[in-house]
Amino acid sequence: MPKIEIDGIEVECRDGITVLQAALEAGWSVPHYCYHPGLSVVASCRLCLMEMQMPSPKGGGMEWSSKLVPSCQVPVKNGLVVRFASDQVKRNQRRVMEFLLLNHPLDCPVCDQAGECLLQDYSYEFGDPTSRMRDEKHKSPKKDIGPRTLLYSDRCVLCTRCVRFTREITGTHDLCVTHRGSENEIDVFPGKALDNPLQGNVVDLCPVGALLDKDFLFKQRVWFLKRTKSICPGCSTGCAVSVDSNEGVVYRLKPRYNPGVNDWWMCDEGRFGWKYMHDANRITAPVIRRGGVTGTPPWDSVPEIVDARLRAVIEAHGPDKVAVVLSPMMACEEAWLLVRFLRSVASEATLVLGPVPIQGQLQMFPVGSTGDAVRFTIRREKCPNRRGVETIIAETGGPTLSFEVFCEQATAGAFAAAWIVGGYPEPWVTKDFAKAVGQLEFVVAQDLFPNEVTEVATLVLPACGFAQREGSFMNFGGRIQPFDRAIAPPDGAKGDGQYLYELAGFTGLYSGRAVREMMAQEIHLFSMVKEAPPMPVHQH
Amino acid sequence: MAWPTIDRQSPVTDSDAPPLLSDEVKAKIRSFFERYETRRAALLPALHVVQESLGYISWRAMDEVATVLDIPASEVFDVVTFYTHYWTKPRGKKTIVVCRSITCELMGAGVLLEAFKRHLGVGEGETTPDGAYSLATEECLAQCDHAPCVLINEKKHGRVKPDDVPALLADPDNDKLEVPRSDLYDPVLGEDATTRPRGGERKG
Repeated sequence: MPKIEIDGIEVECRDGITVLQAALEAGWSVPHYCYHPGLSVVASCRLCLMEMQMPSPKGGGMEWSSKLVPSCQVPVKNGLVVRFASDQVKRNQRRVMEFLLLNHPLDCPVCDQAGECLLQDYSYEFGDPTSRMRDEKHKSPKKDIGPRTLLYSDRCVLCTRCVRFTREITGTHDLCVTHRGSENEIDVFPGKALDNPLQGNVVDLCPVGALLDKDFLFKQRVWFLKRTKSICPGCSTGCAVSVDSNEGVVYRLKPRYNPGVNDWWMCDEGRFGWKYMHDANRITAPVIRRGGVTGTPPWDSVPEIVDARLRAVIEAHGPDKVAVVLSPMMACEEAWLLVRFLRSVASEATLVLGPVPIQGQLQMFPVGSTGDAVRFTIRREKCPNRRGVETIIAETGGPTLSFEVFCEQATAGAFAAAWIVGGYPEPWVTKDFAKAVGQLEFVVAQDLFPNEVTEVATLVLPACGFAQREGSFMNFGGRIQPFDRAIAPPDGAKGDGQYLYELAGFTGLYSGRAVREMMAQEIHLFSMVKEAPPMPVHQH
Repeated sequence: MAWPTIDRQSPVTDSDAPPLLSDEVKAKIRSFFERYETRRAALLPALHVVQESLGYISWRAMDEVATVLDIPASEVFDVVTFYTHYWTKPRGKKTIVVCRSITCELMGAGVLLEAFKRHLGVGEGETTPDGAYSLATEECLAQCDHAPCVLINEKKHGRVKPDDVPALLADPDNDKLEVPRSDLYDPVLGEDATTRPRGGERKG
């Protein structure tokens, strides 16, 4: 571990990083636009310049270099002495900020980026309060560069993070820098729009308000948004994300740095895949059917109803006539609580893993890369927790069946009661499954949307979207990643975890962490939870 | 104030139209490939060939060059607009470029440019109605010792005075080079590539 000296303070840093990265990690506030740890270094914005000690040309020891050096381009080396706290460095920062703002429209009041804009932050921290520009500002055009993204060229600082992203991470080369010098603009080739599956990341990468998400455009001021740590349920990769919400409504998803899983990125499928949570057709209250009469039971009575009905079935048909179809959309904690409850009532209950949605092809980026060159993967398995639920089924032991065999046996009359968990954003009930469910005497359906199963179920319980729940998902590689609740369940509904917690015989509020601790007593694996590291002070 | 958005989603090239680049032009571009390690490296000479053939480099031409070189069209767009030598709109048979760098400026390039404008009746970046001349300026023509200098197509003219303009315009050979052009841009087609000196070969 090399030791360097920044502003007279010794800093121990990781091998192979640059001085800028070391300074940021050690808590220095160094302005930078073009530098991003996930992209190549171009050292073009000139904001992170520092003073560095170099061997004196006159010989005899070290002296401060007369020129400033980009800290993003200098690798750390034992004994390196640099400083940011000097007049020369601060003067440079002020002047560069002034240049960058020469033609900036200063339209923060109508700009989506305001509040999370590095032009605002750096102007405040490093810039001058006034501009000396007297000439008319050059106004670059606004461009519709893709189905989901707008480019306001006049706000652009030409850091080229977006261009490098499309060249190095997606390999699609959609964006380019056109013209020269003061006429530089970011652009796409007409008709070859920015439309790759990861394009949303260019909006996150943009340190200013130049690249904006059409979906989020003018929807919400960012300072009203509450940021919650979550895990994307879109596929089995399990990207760490932030759910940005306000007053119980989700407005956007942003990736969180999670090395080894999604790094700094996420795909558009996940980024825009949360809309179903605010769908008006969702089931929001429990429903009970008694002899052709449909009613809404109070939540308090649900455990009693389930318990009584299950016991009646067991008495009439035996304890092996009960099954539970778990969903790969469930959190590990929810699956564990449900299995625990059902096995406590029906010790011979059969555990079944519901259908695992597989869609499309494995998509690896940069396009055409393989092996170590792959920087991001979108997986075919469009659910977050197949492995977690499988682990719980395997570790619990006892009778289990595959989904197909369960359908066959249930159709043949092998079961009398079942608890069926859905929670898929897309329709999922197959004809065979609906037929199998039709044979059952008592069905509890826990789902997001009405379907063939909820139509016939004796008891329907509302399921919640991922942002309305908390728990953990085990991704494709077996990494257990916790996620927090961002927004409350819809009016009338209760969080899945909460009612399963109550059914399992616990009182009080459900907490993912507390349930995980209990699970870890039984299944040691669940003590090994891996959280994404916290965001650095200056977000990238 | 209305601030229209430029639509970049719709293609500006007509995909049904016949190809712009002739087979000959494409063959000429392909003959550059063996000089470089990558096809991308042949972009600059390829664009010169296209510009010579079509007069300027249109969107459609950029797209077709990208296909020939197997590189993204956005990168061709990037390069074409970076260099002032490439024209993205139609221009006249001959292009007059007046140097605007500091040496020429001090030696009277400003007055010279005005003389060209007066004689041609067009402004900077414009083409005469008969399509004979286009007028442009460029940063430095690397002829500071012959300032003020002018480039007509590829022929340089040094120490041009405003009074010389009518004679210069009247000379039909004002763009004829006395020396042959670099082999970089005019490869001899059909010749055995291995025997020809390789212009782009790396030294050492």
